[in-house]
Amino acid sequence: MATIAFLFYYVFPYIAVAVFFGGLAYRVYRWWQKKLAPARFSLFPRPQSRLGRLLDALVDMFTLKGLLRVNPLLWAGGFIMHLGLLFVLVGHVRAFTDFYFLWKLLNWGKEQQHTFSAVAGTIAGTLFTIPLFYLLARRWSGAVKWLSVPEDFFVLLLLISIALTGFHMRLLRTVEVEELHRFFAGLASFRWQPVPESAGPAFIWHFALVQVLMVYFPFGKLSHIIGSVLSKMVARS
Amino acid sequence: MLTKFLDTLRQRITRPLQYYQDICVRCGACIDACHFYVTSGHPAHIPAYRMMLVKKLLQQGGNGRKGLLGWYRETGMASEQMVAELRKALWECTGCRRCSVFCPFDLDTALMVNVGRYALGQEGMGMEMVAEIGNAEVSKGEIIDALKEFFVDQVRELAERIRQEWGVPDLRIPVDEPARVLYVPVVGEHAIIPLAKIFHAAKESWTLSMFTATNHSFFVGDIEKAKQAAHWIVEEARRLGVQVIAYAECGHATRTLLNFWDHWFGEELVGIQRVSVVQLVASYLQEGRIQVQPGAFDVPMTYHDPCNLGRNAGIYEEPRMLIRAVATDFQELTPNRELNWCCGGGGGMIAEPDMLEVRMKAGRPKVEQIQRTGARWVVTTCENCKTQLADLSERYGLGVEIKGAVDLIADALIVR
Repeated sequence: MATIAFLFYYVFPYIAVAVFFGGLAYRVYRWWQKKLAPARFSLFPRPQSRLGRLLDALVDMFTLKGLLRVNPLLWAGGFIMHLGLLFVLVGHVRAFTDFYFLWKLLNWGKEQQHTFSAVAGTIAGTLFTIPLFYLLARRWSGAVKWLSVPEDFFVLLLLISIALTGFHMRLLRTVEVEELHRFFAGLASFRWQPVPESAGPAFIWHFALVQVLMVYFPFGKLSHIIGSVLSKMVARS
Repeated sequence: MLTKFLDTLRQRITRPLQYYQDICVRCGACIDACHFYVTSGHPAHIPAYRMMLVKKLLQQGGNGRKGLLGWYRETGMASEQMVAELRKALWECTGCRRCSVFCPFDLDTALMVNVGRYALGQEGMGMEMVAEIGNAEVSKGEIIDALKEFFVDQVRELAERIRQEWGVPDLRIPVDEPARVLYVPVVGEHAIIPLAKIFHAAKESWTLSMFTATNHSFFVGDIEKAKQAAHWIVEEARRLGVQVIAYAECGHATRTLLNFWDHWFGEELVGIQRVSVVQLVASYLQEGRIQVQPGAFDVPMTYHDPCNLGRNAGIYEEPRMLIRAVATDFQELTPNRELNWCCGGGGGMIAEPDMLEVRMKAGRPKVEQIQRTGARWVVTTCENCKTQLADLSERYGLGVEIKGAVDLIADALIVR
């Protein structure tokens, strides 16, 4: 057990990062090997200019405005989940460095920084997690059950597990960010540092599950992070 | 099983199709989009499920490997049931692309269906009748010289009839003459008469194509043949030195003309403008080249956006402009434009007698839409839709009349 934990602390993170970026690059490379579409497969209405179409695709990608119009409930599930994820990711910057500039600008001390992070982090995590349960429940509902395959459950349960282990640290522990900074700086510089004890036992589970996610990410449906905008441009070609 | 299907499919997976297979998250937004699914409740009609079926077959590669990875990717040998589902998924689709509008990634199920149909055809599971008509359109160009005399005779008779009935002694229907506009009709005089009148009134320099706009090879996914059939028209246009090719009110043909021809013919089209005849007539009206009796038809009417003119070619406003010019009581269907329900008869099904029941069932959302407006006339701009809507009206006792937008204009023309 200790060996496995050691691997997830000090060895697998490198593999996960390499597979994540390498895998996404490989995915794009595989797409580019395929022949181009033999014609324009536009959907109308679409903006006239090329720039207009790109902007429209990006706006649609970040707001899902097309989905909002036809299925508000699914839009809420998908959009709020992604928005929460974005906030959570921004918050995780504090695991590696800190918003020193922001704290200085606001003239906030340690106490205020901590209170703000606790409140904002909990809200962001909630925005991320509750829609995940909705999306999971939806997998068994009505016609969606015909469309549900093992991958869908795997990805949803993985994300939920990551969220819950994160909540454990957020709500039940007081994590010293300096410990995290030291640990990750150690990983980045190959001068390994002791594990962040203040984060408690959930840390290794959280950290390991994220690595599983990163390794899986490029090879399944999650590659829509890149593919969705490419597909949108086909519909606006 | 299905080896030819899979081999053909593998060769024809283009970049967008690969995106679609890889990124579909099976969210189910498309479930409510498909008129086949909402009327049948059969999973093979859900757009995402159609995509999943093809993906599953491509991944298994026929080796039926099991194990954990096999379970995870849901592979397995193609079973009888799977083949039956595949045929349902690929042939019972009108290619209307309403699901693409619903999809948060704009995935084009219709494109995959189109490619899949061609692959099924290689396996001997095609729509023979549609493919045959497509072949006839391809070979027509080779024997056009032999057909010409007969065609010209028929057109001469038709022109004579219009002159007498309409009382315009100098109306002509030019065939194979150099002109500004080449008008490409669909089969049947109903596609020629209104335009002969409108072109006459607009004093347009025009000529009638000896070919038809329809391109059935496109429906069965045979793009090579579709290109050949359309190329006869390009040749004719270049031979006659026309500046404008105008396609009749026909959905799939208009879509290929406007969206695919650049890729198919490229430089051959330099100096030739391509339009739907609906756009051309709208421009006459706007420029004052023709005059119509405002409010000529005091009948409640509505407009059905054909999928291929609407969301697939972007012609939304011109038909409405034509209708408003002559109608007193025009009401929109709900939903309309890019969210309009498909009539249920597209994708070549009209030409396949076996498909009658399938399309009658799939047309139910359309019937309900029309009933809600209380319209007596349904105006549309696609030959396929017209046939399907007339069949629906009869089957469901709607009692509506189906009109083309250019028919309305032709019947309300003021000729001086």
